[in-house]
Amino acid sequence: MQNNLKLLRKFLGIQIRAQLQYPVSFVMEVISNAIILGFFFIAFALTMTQFGEIGGWTLGEVAFLWGIAEFSFGMMDMIFSGFDYDFFGPMVIKGTFDQLLLRPVNITLQVLGSRFVLRRLGKILEGLIIFIVGLWLVDVEWTIGKITYIPIIILSQILFFGSLFIIGATTTFWTKERLEILNIFTYGGSEIMSYPMHIFPRAIRLLFTFVVPAIFLSYFPMTYILNKPIQLNAPSIVPFLAPMIALILFYLSLKFWQFGIKNYQSTGS
Amino acid sequence: MNAFLATIKTSFRRQLTYRAANLSGLFTNLMFGFFRAAVLIALYQEQTVVNGLSIRGAITYAGLTQAVIGFLSFFHWYELMHTVYDGRVGSDLLKPINYFHYWFGIDIGRAFGSLIIRGIPLFLVFSLFYDIILPGSILQWASFGMSLVFAMIISFSWRFLVNLASFWTPNAIGIGRFAFGLSWTFSGFYFPLALFPDWFAEFCRLTPFGASIYIPIQIFIGNIQGNALLEGLLIQLIWIFILIALDRIILSLGMRKLVIQGG
Repeated sequence: MQNNLKLLRKFLGIQIRAQLQYPVSFVMEVISNAIILGFFFIAFALTMTQFGEIGGWTLGEVAFLWGIAEFSFGMMDMIFSGFDYDFFGPMVIKGTFDQLLLRPVNITLQVLGSRFVLRRLGKILEGLIIFIVGLWLVDVEWTIGKITYIPIIILSQILFFGSLFIIGATTTFWTKERLEILNIFTYGGSEIMSYPMHIFPRAIRLLFTFVVPAIFLSYFPMTYILNKPIQLNAPSIVPFLAPMIALILFYLSLKFWQFGIKNYQSTGS
Repeated sequence: MNAFLATIKTSFRRQLTYRAANLSGLFTNLMFGFFRAAVLIALYQEQTVVNGLSIRGAITYAGLTQAVIGFLSFFHWYELMHTVYDGRVGSDLLKPINYFHYWFGIDIGRAFGSLIIRGIPLFLVFSLFYDIILPGSILQWASFGMSLVFAMIISFSWRFLVNLASFWTPNAIGIGRFAFGLSWTFSGFYFPLALFPDWFAEFCRLTPFGASIYIPIQIFIGNIQGNALLEGLLIQLIWIFILIALDRIILSLGMRKLVIQGG
């Protein structure tokens, strides 16, 4: 285990050093990414000037949802980028995944260490700024409970999105190509988690409650932080289920991944 | 000319062969259309018209933007860059066809293949779920069609220009990400430009990005007619002219600069 961690540190160290080869261009890219990604929120904010609220939530309140979802997705996308199906799919097709299997090191560790996209700091930065905008616009009645719950929500979201990436990567063992359809849950999931989810039609809500439990990671917890009513028929405990749901999903995704590896058949190319 | 047509035909057929990918893309864009429509409905609440855009218009807008993503391929296109970096550009330049025409041909085939197999079915399915607006006359359909073709040409000549950066620098992908990010924002892809404050909407409309998505959709939902419609088409034509001129100039400069990697 200790050996594995040392190895992982080494893998990531190489990745980071390589990406920092040109520090100026790296910083420029992070900043430009943050700006470009931030435009979506700016467009939303400009639109909100015409309306004032969405589903009873103000711009600042939505910024809480939006900022945390972007921040967590960015963190996940940096850490779990080895499992990014857009990257992992081609690895399976080209047969480079087979090379990893031949090495005498834990395969999950190798995939995790195979890619670490530091550039995602742009998205993380963007999420952070939006969250700060939320803090600035909303007068939250802070309690110790709420302050401790925010980092737990973030960690849960990272695990949640990470699980989706692992599941997505695993499906490519069978499909042998990246399926854009997975974007509905990953990028789409993070998009709908940026809004108060009671605004979506029932079918979409049910999908993101019982199939991909996104609603427990973002909307429900944030109603607790912001003292908003849950405008859906749900028990009062739902804001606090985020860590449990995330851990269960993460566990299941790892099981699925291991099942995928066991049944993996190379493309032979 | 024959080579140009042959390029279009080959590229069109190639696009149609990726059935699973097209279907998966169709479904994904459709879901995003539903998400965006739901957000707009929640914003409008009981209001029927905001800033001249009706709720039906806004919903139609959400479906149409998703339907034309594949056709315009506005947001993610690095194909020319890849050929520069792996050396394929060498053989492309030897082909008996002008380099710009070659890529233009490929893109026309890809765009119309995608429109038929992905864009139109998406919009038809979308229209089953929502009360949408359709053009009311042949003339409106025709001007929408024309504007959409213009949009595709603007989109292509913009992407071609961005990709030419690879003739100069070995890391043009970052430039591309930024450039395509601009197209996301100013095209009115996230939210209809009509819902922005007027000064910003007007600015976006005059950029090549607004000219590519916003104008055809405004024509489709009947928000611009008569002189305003002609003005919209004129803005598009001006951008086509400017961008293609830029493409040609930068390309000829780039030819002197290009270093072909051994593949």
